[in-house]
Amino acid sequence: MTMKRHGHAPILKLRNAAISYETRYGDIEAVRNVSFQVDRAETFGVVGESGCGKSTVAFGIVDFLGPNGKIVGGSIKFQGRELIGRSQEELRKLRGDQISMVYQDPMQALNPSVTIGDQLTEVLTVHRGIAKKEARGKSIRMLERVYMPDPANVMERYPHQISGGQQQRVVIAMALLNNPALLIMDEPTTALDVTVEAVVLDLIEDLKHDFDTAIVYITHDLGVVARVCNRVGVMYAGEMVEVGSVEAIYDAPQHPYTQGLMRCVPKLGSTKESSILYPIRGRVPAPKDRPEGACIFAPRCDYSTDRCHNEKPQLRELSPGHSARCFYSETIDPSTWRPPDGLVPEFASRAGGNGQEPIIRLKDLKTYYEQESRSVLSLVGLGEKLYVKAVDDVSLQVPPGKTLGVVGESGCGKSTLAKTIIGLETPRAGEAQFLGFDITVPVSERDVKLIEELQMVFQNPDSTMNPSYNVGHQIGRPLRRFNVVPSDQVRDEVVRLLRAVRLDASYCDRLPRQLSGGEKQRVGIARAFASRPDLVLCDEPVSALDVSVQAAVLNLLMEIQQEYGTTMMFIAHDLSVVRFFSDYVAVMYLGHIVEIGPAEDIYAPPYQPYTEALLSAVPIPDPTAEQKHIRLHGTVPSALNPPSGCVFHTRCPRRDLLPDGGKICEQDVPPWQHNSDEHRIMCHIPLEELRKMDPVVTSR
Amino acid sequence: MFVRDYMTRHPVMGDPTMSIVEAQGIMAETSVRHLPVVETGKQLVGLVTRQRMRIPPTDLASLNVWEITRFLSNLTLQDVMVKRDAVITIEPDVALEEAAQVMTRHRIGCLPVMDGNTVIGIITEIDMMAQLTDLLGGRTPGIRATVRMPNRKGELAKLIGAIADNGWGIYASGGVQTPKDPSHWDCVIKVRNVPQAELVAVLERIEGQKLIDVRQQH
Repeated sequence: MTMKRHGHAPILKLRNAAISYETRYGDIEAVRNVSFQVDRAETFGVVGESGCGKSTVAFGIVDFLGPNGKIVGGSIKFQGRELIGRSQEELRKLRGDQISMVYQDPMQALNPSVTIGDQLTEVLTVHRGIAKKEARGKSIRMLERVYMPDPANVMERYPHQISGGQQQRVVIAMALLNNPALLIMDEPTTALDVTVEAVVLDLIEDLKHDFDTAIVYITHDLGVVARVCNRVGVMYAGEMVEVGSVEAIYDAPQHPYTQGLMRCVPKLGSTKESSILYPIRGRVPAPKDRPEGACIFAPRCDYSTDRCHNEKPQLRELSPGHSARCFYSETIDPSTWRPPDGLVPEFASRAGGNGQEPIIRLKDLKTYYEQESRSVLSLVGLGEKLYVKAVDDVSLQVPPGKTLGVVGESGCGKSTLAKTIIGLETPRAGEAQFLGFDITVPVSERDVKLIEELQMVFQNPDSTMNPSYNVGHQIGRPLRRFNVVPSDQVRDEVVRLLRAVRLDASYCDRLPRQLSGGEKQRVGIARAFASRPDLVLCDEPVSALDVSVQAAVLNLLMEIQQEYGTTMMFIAHDLSVVRFFSDYVAVMYLGHIVEIGPAEDIYAPPYQPYTEALLSAVPIPDPTAEQKHIRLHGTVPSALNPPSGCVFHTRCPRRDLLPDGGKICEQDVPPWQHNSDEHRIMCHIPLEELRKMDPVVTSR
Repeated sequence: MFVRDYMTRHPVMGDPTMSIVEAQGIMAETSVRHLPVVETGKQLVGLVTRQRMRIPPTDLASLNVWEITRFLSNLTLQDVMVKRDAVITIEPDVALEEAAQVMTRHRIGCLPVMDGNTVIGIITEIDMMAQLTDLLGGRTPGIRATVRMPNRKGELAKLIGAIADNGWGIYASGGVQTPKDPSHWDCVIKVRNVPQAELVAVLERIEGQKLIDVRQQH
């Protein structure tokens, strides 16, 4: 409610900024016509897909563009001072004193060989000439300020000795030590788990108010923007296409690209039927291929006219503080938008499968990793053996043709579960059956027919393709290996598979490096489906992809699944993606499944407390949606020595619902409580109590 | 109500070697009237105000137009600033009225706020005005009433009691000794969401006190 007083000018003001990189094709304008401003205690979000120039803008502000980058036009003013044309020495001083940056990967911002305390105090002793002892005191207070548990102790540690979320907090503390007027954050939570991300986002919000810092927040995640930003700029292919308050942008996006982005983000609050994702057709053009003298989005726009292809629209103010770069913003009504033919597959109701014999059935499956003990006895083989219980007592089954989503924080055993099923890890105990066959044997001892029916799509398409073989060869390999088709028809089959994943025959001869991330993942999917398997395991298949590509790949997977009737297990950390995709969902924590059931039941009360916390942490791309505020503290405990009783009891926010502050949780393993035939929850809290809870997300 | 709550953090600042011409531009662009001058690490070395930039015409009298240009372009902040020793500063934890007193005593318009020798903010007379406005709830619509009461114990309690008895609340308040009358105090209160007539009726019934002004603020 306080009004603006001293210095009405914004902290940062960009006017038609343009940044170029020198390449062998000549100078390429990576960013142009970018204008925005950021005030005190305001967060300005810059969103867009990868390759849209978001990070270039951030680096341009402080001229960190590298030897081949240069600012070629416009003006960048920081507190009234023009930054363009400053000497490196002047900029260095400014960066040290008034502008700080926080990057995506905290481990790259911290020096691994220096203690955290030394790195923090150095900022003060070098820049401000503060005595070491006083600097130490200030550093500890700043660590407290960023909610670091036990800050004095953390000062003595090295970066690798604290968790990722804590590392990022150290980086933020370091950035704030000099009390900067401007903080530039480039995807600061992208590398973090959703529960940790939620805590860091809360922190950023608090700090903005306490320090009156202006923040430029760069991200691809529309959910995060809705949570922390006051105003948003949407970037597309190096240009700002829409700028406005966060409410205006989400409530009434005016540019077709922004509207498209909103349609391809999975939404948590909505029902499954309404959560169909609509990808934006085509892809972001490379800087040298951008249309000149035309609307930059016209080739992908559903509303484009001749005018869009022949004339360049300017950023126009449509209502106070809300501008868009489109000729037709006033006439386009996104609510009447209908997807063009073929963009979204027809989703026939996937009834059936219920009551059928499950295709895969796991019972009390345990996969342990043996850990070297550090004692001397172990050297002679007498030491006590220690085990990392990566998967512990997991029981589940999936009916044919259905999809099971598996979610949980990193380190909860999702990937180990997949590896165990596929045969890369051998379980220590328990049963695992696939089509009635025992699959507790490692893959090397499995029958070829079994391997054929059980395929996998991996997270990172870059590292799962051989860089020196062309695409045709890589997809053809499983066809030859499993004799799916006679050898003279392999090429035809490869082309058919490529078509199925919406790539044309010319891709056969391309090498992986000639493909974009989304295309690589399509090839990965084509390869997994080549042998016409009955079960496909997808390990985070879209988490490395941009939202619009992500939507296309997810739709593709569903379509292929329907065509072939394939069963899928879909591993993800993103609860909103899983909802869209799955018939059943299993929530894992520390090697255990804590809740499993039909997708609809997982997202409504009764919740297992861990599921509730996960749901409450998911950033929702809707600033008006109300979400419960539940934050988990600390990190997932070590699987080497999991907590007694309920594995979640050390972090459970609902323990106090039980008598004695949940003493029973520490002592006894919780029972499975059946909410319905298929939905079960592992918790001591009675179901009646859990049913009484409010839903986590309510959208207005 | 401390300096830290009302100061402007991240004030616009200048370097000692910054030219006057540039500093003028920055001050005009950001509409500030005071420019703390700092070296690396935001260490305060001086202060420049708009007044300081007014070069006495006598300095220029003997110069021709070309020489004036050169004279001006060579002038930097360190040539015109008030040097560090002469700059009066304040700490963030000082009470606001004490800061105001410092400003009145020295007849100055701003105080750089310091942590050691590092500038962390600035507080100006405008900030003080804003504080005065907030103190009396000036930015919020409601009824502003001035009550004159005898200068003795228990009078304020009577006023507050009368308001509270009706289930109302006081949004903001302030009191000063009545000008030229040390035997009385004037107390200003801001009350919201109460019909004016009812409030007046209640205030007029308080024994020994006099309602001297009531007005609606929007």
